[in-house]
Amino acid sequence: MNNRLKSIITVTVFAVFLLSVSVLCLAMPDTTHSDSERRELAQFPKVTTEKLVSGEFSKEFESYTTDQFPFRDAFRSIKTVLAHKVLGKLDNNGLFTADGHISKLDVAINEPMMDHAAERFNYIYNTYLTGSNVYFSIVPDKNYVLAEPNGFPAMDYESFINKMVQKVPNMKYIDICDLLSATDYYYTDTHWRQENITDIASRLAHHMGVKLTHDYTENTLDVPFYGVYAGQYAGGVVPDTIKYLTNDTINNAKVSAYNDKGMLVESTIYNMEKAQGKDPYEMFLSGTMAVVTIENPDAAQERELVLFRDSYGASIAPLFLSGYSKITVVDTRYIQSEYLKAFVDFEGADVLFLYSTSLLNNSLAIR
Amino acid sequence: MLFSSITFLYYFLPIVLILYFAAPKSLKNVVLLLVSLFFYAWGEPKCIFLMLGTIALNYVFGILIEKAKTKQAKKIYLAISVIGTLSGLLYFKYAGFFVENFAAITGMSHLSLNIALPIGISFYTFQILSYSVDVYRGEVPAQKNIITLATYIALFPQLIAGPIVRYKDVAAQLVKRSHSFESAAYGIRRFIVGLGKKVLIANTLGELCQAFYATQDTSVMFYWLFAVCFTLQIYFDFSGYSDMAIGLGKIFGFDFLENFRYPFISKSLSEFWRRWHISLGSWFRDYVYFPMGGSRVKKPKLIFNLFVVWFLTGFWHGAEWNFVLWGLFFSVFLTLEKLFLTKPLEKSKIIARIYTLFFIIISFMIFSGNNAQEAFTRVGGLFGAGGIPLASAEALYQLRNYGVLVAIAIVGATPLPSKAYQYLKSKKTTSFFADIAEIIILLLILISVTAFLADGSFNPFLYFRF
Repeated sequence: MNNRLKSIITVTVFAVFLLSVSVLCLAMPDTTHSDSERRELAQFPKVTTEKLVSGEFSKEFESYTTDQFPFRDAFRSIKTVLAHKVLGKLDNNGLFTADGHISKLDVAINEPMMDHAAERFNYIYNTYLTGSNVYFSIVPDKNYVLAEPNGFPAMDYESFINKMVQKVPNMKYIDICDLLSATDYYYTDTHWRQENITDIASRLAHHMGVKLTHDYTENTLDVPFYGVYAGQYAGGVVPDTIKYLTNDTINNAKVSAYNDKGMLVESTIYNMEKAQGKDPYEMFLSGTMAVVTIENPDAAQERELVLFRDSYGASIAPLFLSGYSKITVVDTRYIQSEYLKAFVDFEGADVLFLYSTSLLNNSLAIR
Repeated sequence: MLFSSITFLYYFLPIVLILYFAAPKSLKNVVLLLVSLFFYAWGEPKCIFLMLGTIALNYVFGILIEKAKTKQAKKIYLAISVIGTLSGLLYFKYAGFFVENFAAITGMSHLSLNIALPIGISFYTFQILSYSVDVYRGEVPAQKNIITLATYIALFPQLIAGPIVRYKDVAAQLVKRSHSFESAAYGIRRFIVGLGKKVLIANTLGELCQAFYATQDTSVMFYWLFAVCFTLQIYFDFSGYSDMAIGLGKIFGFDFLENFRYPFISKSLSEFWRRWHISLGSWFRDYVYFPMGGSRVKKPKLIFNLFVVWFLTGFWHGAEWNFVLWGLFFSVFLTLEKLFLTKPLEKSKIIARIYTLFFIIISFMIFSGNNAQEAFTRVGGLFGAGGIPLASAEALYQLRNYGVLVAIAIVGATPLPSKAYQYLKSKKTTSFFADIAEIIILLLILISVTAFLADGSFNPFLYFRF
């Protein structure tokens, strides 16, 4: 090919490509939310003199152009393929795949974050629970079972748990790590599967002196579940299926909840509206609720449980119902610990703090 | 605004190209100047006045230097313009450093200055100094058209990350330049190759560096892996920026000199500096080293000259002691090479290359630190200082994770890909396919870069301290 012809072709190809993408950038309508990444997308920034002078406008505009880029999800998938297949990367966006799972590379122990969580837990103990039987358990992230066997670096979970247990000396630690395997977690999400953790509920209850019965009907949600890692990973992902357990005790339970605005609302153990939403896992206890009270009118004995928890606790809480007349589920990410007295009755209750390593290692949200 | 951003590629650049090529010849510099000022103001709205002031100062004094009747008057005008120009750099880049060190020595810990460094100030200051000095030396006439001079300084392709373009190299093109499909196609090629080097290779290697900074699992192996990746990252990032600048310049009709010529194939550190950041090295050579007498002086003076030049070269890269150490590290080795090492190194190419690469890597460990202490820690880490283990689980994983990329980067840092392409081009049977493949590969690189940018992948700007 002579040089001039090749040059004309080169210039034409790239001029057409550049201009076409530019026109698409300008012409395509903006979207507000990314379902795959579960986040709000940047919008065209407001133009103010202060923002222009400070350079804030340009930063916001650059976020806007990236977030609103045409066919962004497709380009993100291309990037994932390139990172793995061309550049030979084993992980992408801090996530790795193993045994069909997507899991997070989480290697560093963040001790200041653990200190923050411990400070909040100890505050609750010293303020409301002195002298009570208080239990503490840690849910390891799924890379606990996936990383090392598949050649990925893992956090030193033994050290993490030992450190955390030492930071809350008034609580009795219940180890559940040995009961967990990869099949107990969703493939595309960080959480555990309710149908696979009845043994964990039994062990926790056993240590608190309660025997549970697990006689459930297994139900399957009829919507595909793309977990939190599916969008972050941005590769070809097969969706999970959510299963949830029911029986008469669960069906007859009376549920009320204080939401994150402090309003008392009627609720349900399984929120089927949330099940159809952007994050179907939120079907368990309706997701982000500050305080949820579950009453069991069929209970054989009057015994109460207060469960301090993160999102992992939402799916295990109903499994305690056969042993308790009332379960109060508290998420201190949505309620300040200082206000708990007005919402929670601790008198005579078993108290369990059940938190995941991922939250304890990044605990600023705990209030 | 970064070249490696959606905003630049799909908003700024197409508009600029349309405006530039639609404008009549007489207005092309005006268009370039206005878009360049917009480009600079986009990231540094307040600092644009400093740049405009520097341009105005050198414009006025350039004319005064030329018109001055006596040598002494020329010298005075030059001194004023140099001091005026350098004072901006000294204040914004170095005042905080001097105050901080003064406070540390005197124990006056309350003393501190928090001055934001205007982006690209070191590059455009050195460019404009070359203009004034060259006018003083009579090598170029003073530029009477302030638009032309301002276009030279503010020209967005090389404004924030170089290369440092000398006025005399582009003086003629600032007034009259030609545009052709051939030069535009060459410019596109260089720009996309540079973009790929920056986004696909340097940024991904940068992720390994971030993992190293965050790790709690250090080992000698991880230090070496970091050292190799950091060295390659800096090369691909910096040379990628230079490729993009040269490519954009070519599209607009300018011929910028090469800034990197495969520095890692050097057989001595002196050769490395003839291949690495060539525009900076030649600037110091022509405006500091040669005026001091260069190499044609007695040994003690030669050692002193090298010390001064490399102290300044290191300090130019950032107002921190590790950059000074980095410069002085080269001053020691370049002095040794000039005095003793050249002949022994010529005896064995293999030993020469190992020696060069080893000390390049050590030098970039010094460069990578945020201060002198960190620089020492990193160099020490390469040799197991502090009793760190030889290997760690994370290091082994990262070696597997980045092994392919490091191999690609090492091959890409040599002339091999270029030679392979030239070979295919030279054969009648493969020449046509090489041309087609080239266009397709360039398009694929651009799509890949777009995918990385749309994903919001790690995309640092490494020259914020320059």
